[in-house]
Amino acid sequence: MHQLISSFEGLQGKVKGINYLNDGVVLVDTTPNSLFDVVNFITRELKGIFTVIIGVDAREIDGSFHNIYVFSLDELKKYVLVRVMLEGSDPKVPSITPLIKGADWSEREIRDLLGIKFINHPDPRKLIVPESWHDGVFPLRKEVSYKLRAHGPYEPYQPRRSEDVIALPYGPYHPLLHEPEYFELHVKGETVIDIEYRGFHVHRGIEKLGEARLTINQIPFVAERICGICGYVHSVCYCQVIEGAAGIEVPERALYIRSLILEIERIHSHLLWLGVACHVLGFDTGFMHAWRIREPVMHLAELLTGNRKTYGINLVGGVRRDLKEEHIDKVIKVLNEVKEGYTKFINYLTGVREVIKRLEGSGLLPRTEAISYGVVGPVARASALKRDVRVDHPYAAYKDVYFKVPVYNDCDNMARLMVRVEEVFESIDIIKQLLDKLPKGPILAENVEVAEYREGFSAVEAPRGEDVHYVMTGKYSRVYRWKVRAPSYSNIPALKVMLHECPLSDAPLTIASIDPCFSCTDRLIVVDVNTGKRFKVPMRALAKGWRP
Amino acid sequence: MSLYKRSIWVFHLNTGGCNACDIEILDVLTPYHDVERFGIKLVASPRHADALLISGPVTREALPKVIDALLAVPEPKVVIAVGSCPISGGIWYDTYSTIGGLNELYRILKEEYGINEPLTVRIPGCPPRPEAIIHGVALALGIVKQKVKFNHIVIG
Repeated sequence: MHQLISSFEGLQGKVKGINYLNDGVVLVDTTPNSLFDVVNFITRELKGIFTVIIGVDAREIDGSFHNIYVFSLDELKKYVLVRVMLEGSDPKVPSITPLIKGADWSEREIRDLLGIKFINHPDPRKLIVPESWHDGVFPLRKEVSYKLRAHGPYEPYQPRRSEDVIALPYGPYHPLLHEPEYFELHVKGETVIDIEYRGFHVHRGIEKLGEARLTINQIPFVAERICGICGYVHSVCYCQVIEGAAGIEVPERALYIRSLILEIERIHSHLLWLGVACHVLGFDTGFMHAWRIREPVMHLAELLTGNRKTYGINLVGGVRRDLKEEHIDKVIKVLNEVKEGYTKFINYLTGVREVIKRLEGSGLLPRTEAISYGVVGPVARASALKRDVRVDHPYAAYKDVYFKVPVYNDCDNMARLMVRVEEVFESIDIIKQLLDKLPKGPILAENVEVAEYREGFSAVEAPRGEDVHYVMTGKYSRVYRWKVRAPSYSNIPALKVMLHECPLSDAPLTIASIDPCFSCTDRLIVVDVNTGKRFKVPMRALAKGWRP
Repeated sequence: MSLYKRSIWVFHLNTGGCNACDIEILDVLTPYHDVERFGIKLVASPRHADALLISGPVTREALPKVIDALLAVPEPKVVIAVGSCPISGGIWYDTYSTIGGLNELYRILKEEYGINEPLTVRIPGCPPRPEAIIHGVALALGIVKQKVKFNHIVIG
């Protein structure tokens, strides 16, 4: 720890102060002018990987906006938060996107929601709010009500129609992957050259809702609604932040129960993804088998949490529902059955030559690009980047269990599949170890009191990668600022690299291979660079080898 | 309530939901529940669909596309609202980036297009259980009878 602080001494005069937020998190204060030097130092000397930028409207506290740049130092097992204070009346800061490609979305998001100007940012378009949103209304500023719907007049959706365009008669929705998303693929002949993304159809204003209407102990239940697949991850991460900020000791048994349910969630999420990947390949038999194997895991989740979606058992300070002795045998029995069926299925799947041929060598993401975009989770591990929050920044009960982190060097879709396949086996193993060592005792901490204006930061390894939460607590047991960075937020921009020079028919599979959390595409616009023609093509047609 | 004599084809429309309802919808199609035995089938285009499965609170970004999809479903159509979000807007009923559920959507449809509210089956839950989703669709099909009648309750 002291080693890390002394390493900052080289930046004389550029760093204004260094503090510990909690055990594994270091907060460094600097000025907008020195930001480039500090960021360069962290990424080059300390091998920090960019995570996210957090914007805070702290004008009520000290009259300024805070921009917090988060970097993960995986080798030193620390997070470094670089805080820059910006003028309250006219906040502006140099953009770091030219240095770090992964910062693009974060900066555009803060510009949309907080109105901070990023000097020299390459992309002036809106990212989060609709195109018709009024300029000058920034939803996350404190004076703006969470109810203010400042979008322009309602205009019917007009798909681009011209003589060149074939507009298929369905909207940007597709039953293949279940969430509204919009990609534009630019192709030359059969090869993808570039990709445009327009998402955030699912932006529901959850951070503002948490800051405006909810109390600290209500937020875990809303945090679970961020994602229906890996919701428990968000509530655990949020609770850890508050517990860290307020110095609450969580009972051992509660930590074990949290880890247990996190692993159950990982198993069902990976099985779900495996099914969807088979579906995208046109291999529906695999889809049905994967979901058949998954169903007992859902029943297990219901047994342990009372809800099929692992909802509603977290509170700040512990969990609400204890694990009953008679359930332990049942859990082990079900897991053994799942493992048996799953092993059979994987042997069968990896023996299907067509599936393997489609997966191998497609969607390449080299290691250097993976670092530059700061990708997380299975996508990083498939690009020879050994990153796993469970090992790098241990939380809950992961310090007490042994498991392998699968890492592949192939950087392709097959590697991403194999990482997830192996992780399911590891998860089953982790659950057995946890049940074996499960300590006795209380499950909820007493005296949960949170002081005002405390900051906290925590990360959890979601099935899709590193999930990050930041909280600044406020008055009257509310939160002042709550920031969530879901794993897909880091992974989707890297698709630009994965899809470059990739055959068109591999595009849907590659997009699916990162397992985007606000699940993937619906339809693509294909632009032929040679002729400038535009076609609108459903994903399924693309997957079956559509030709322009 | 039986609008259809034979199989019902549904189109799934996520209007900005969290995925929980969506994976439960997928769940009912896969071997454990297997609704295809009732003739319920998920289709890729609203033009082929008899019914629209809506999940999510209808975000502003998705609204124009949702209306487009809704208008593309041929008559007679039925809307099946899955989960708390489309029914009432859920916890997001008044946040800045959503419109707050189906009622608001129907109001826009009435005002902008002069279209009356289509027949709607509402399946509450966050998320509803797969059995509840099957029950909701069966209700639209006329396989089961509705046991509880809609009732206006005015508070305050």
